[in-house]
Amino acid sequence: MADLRIEQLTRRFGASAPALDDISFSVAEQEFVFLLGPSGAGKTTTLRLTAGLDQPDGGRILLGGRDMAGIAPRERNVAMVYDKHSLYPHLDVFENMAYPLRLRAMAEAEIRSRIGRVSEILGIGHLMERHSAQLSGGQQQRVAIGRALVRDAAIYLMDEPISHLDAKLRAHMRVEFKKLQREFAATILYVSHDQLEAMTMGDRIVVLDQGKVQQIGTPRDIFDRPANRFVAEFVGEPAMNTIVCDRQQEAGIWRVVAPDFALQLDSGWVMRNALHNRAPGPVVLGLRPEQLTLAPPDQAGQPNVESGRIYAVETLGSETVYDIETGGTLLRLWSRRNAGSLSLPPIGAPVHFRVDPLALHLFDAASGVALAHPEPGLAVAA
Amino acid sequence: MPRDLTRIASPDKPETERNWWVHVILLAVCVIAMLPVVWMVMTAFMPRDVAKAVPPQWLFPPTLDAFRMLIFEQGMLGFLKNSLIVSVSSTLLSVTIGMFCAYALARFEFAGKEDVSFWILTNRMMPAVAVILPMFLIFKTLNLLDTYVGLILLYTAMQLPFVVWMLKGYFEDIPRQLEEIALVDGDTWFGAFRRVVLPLMTPAITATAIFVLILSWNEYAFALFLSGSATKTLPPAVVIFAVNAEVSWDVLGAACLIITAPIMIFVIAVQKQFIRGLSMGMVR
Repeated sequence: MADLRIEQLTRRFGASAPALDDISFSVAEQEFVFLLGPSGAGKTTTLRLTAGLDQPDGGRILLGGRDMAGIAPRERNVAMVYDKHSLYPHLDVFENMAYPLRLRAMAEAEIRSRIGRVSEILGIGHLMERHSAQLSGGQQQRVAIGRALVRDAAIYLMDEPISHLDAKLRAHMRVEFKKLQREFAATILYVSHDQLEAMTMGDRIVVLDQGKVQQIGTPRDIFDRPANRFVAEFVGEPAMNTIVCDRQQEAGIWRVVAPDFALQLDSGWVMRNALHNRAPGPVVLGLRPEQLTLAPPDQAGQPNVESGRIYAVETLGSETVYDIETGGTLLRLWSRRNAGSLSLPPIGAPVHFRVDPLALHLFDAASGVALAHPEPGLAVAA
Repeated sequence: MPRDLTRIASPDKPETERNWWVHVILLAVCVIAMLPVVWMVMTAFMPRDVAKAVPPQWLFPPTLDAFRMLIFEQGMLGFLKNSLIVSVSSTLLSVTIGMFCAYALARFEFAGKEDVSFWILTNRMMPAVAVILPMFLIFKTLNLLDTYVGLILLYTAMQLPFVVWMLKGYFEDIPRQLEEIALVDGDTWFGAFRRVVLPLMTPAITATAIFVLILSWNEYAFALFLSGSATKTLPPAVVIFAVNAEVSWDVLGAACLIITAPIMIFVIAVQKQFIRGLSMGMVR
């Protein structure tokens, strides 16, 4: 086990914008850190640089305090799992898992006992004599993970190891992974574009976009206090609603004015987020779908109750997502109530919804940097 | 109208044979293609007068006279040995060297990579006769005329472009990730090549080697000019029997059989690997 420190890492491919632009983060011993971002963000590049498969144009990688510059992959003692092609097609499962151990000239008995232990935990003991072509996608990835775990690697690098599995298996593997990490006390750097994986498994998340670190924090941090508009929109499902608004002040009362509605801001919240010191101007209002609530028609016209029209309704069984059109923008409202028990509003029907003035995100319209976050400890509205 | 669901066949069930005429055509093509071969084999076992007979006779008492004459009087086994030495050595050499060239072209980025690939291909475009005279002079200067080394080097150089181009495509089909995983697993570059890439390439390399072996085995023009009594291979040797005042068809047939039989037996023996290599679909 060792800790990983990435310092001001830069990698350019050709003349275009750098794939990695001065990124720094660290993974503590036995920590499970996620690199989260859309494709092309530089996640896999970071992983390959860490493994030594590619050389950085700038910056340092320290593994267990040792500078990795010029050190070959085999001398770094890292283990890696790819999203696919992770198994040697010409070897059976046992030989696949034994490959890294044989290279270390480990005694046959020790190899057997290690593979036995890992395969039992992963539930792949019965597959030992099969070749990868005879395994399902889930089994292949399990074996690939197993091959990484039989080693005492300093750090385990995972490149979307479960993203090609079907949804149900993914959900199962998410739980397994978290358990495995504790059981093996492993240091893991895990690349994913799936925010759900990062939120459920990660101790910390490094959000990357266009080769830059957008935010580093715990899953809660990232979700509750996104550092900028990109993070806010990337994390969370359904995604956060964002509307370009104008922030105005009138007789000590602050409002954000959207094309079709205006919200009066809570003065305490404005003070706590030091918004009163900033000049009025355009901002981006961020509303999490789960923090909007449907309001009965008789509450129309009350403060912070807005109205729109139903654009679409997505019933998800125990939950319902309403797409509401208001002033040319679509807002998504996520209700935990089962729409089956209500009468579903028809498309085009007028609808009212309540905005909690303490559950707002505000971002700078130009830079996207977060200006204000919701009040901490807000209960999610039912 | 309700469909009779019980009568629907499983999708796995082979389709009912409808295009039987394809088989008729295939059979016809086979017969047309095989007939000369069959005739050649038959001629090899004919007594001399039957071999010359017009119209041809289909029934005759088989004899080994022609083979006896070839092997004991003409030293055919010596030519066979020369052919074997030259073809097998040049195949081993060209496949080994070509394998590394192809790997480099498939895996590494370097300036002028496309040009190098194309240049290799152009070597193959040149007709052999165009270089026979210069080659003869070079061989003479270097004292390579009528030596195994000379022929082996020449055949290796001739087959290299073919080997490189054929293997390059196969190398490109092997996911780079497999090698990278081996590197991360703790292997050296060459270890990954030997333990991961080569086993996956075995069918493709086998197929290429078979091709090259056949091409070298059949090579005629250079062998005619550059080999002498010590190294004459089978193809130029056969001509000896064809250019006499009177063509002895039985001897010629036997000689042709001696040339073609090893290759035919070899290809039949390895056809499984051959087809697997040509259709290499094990890495997907």
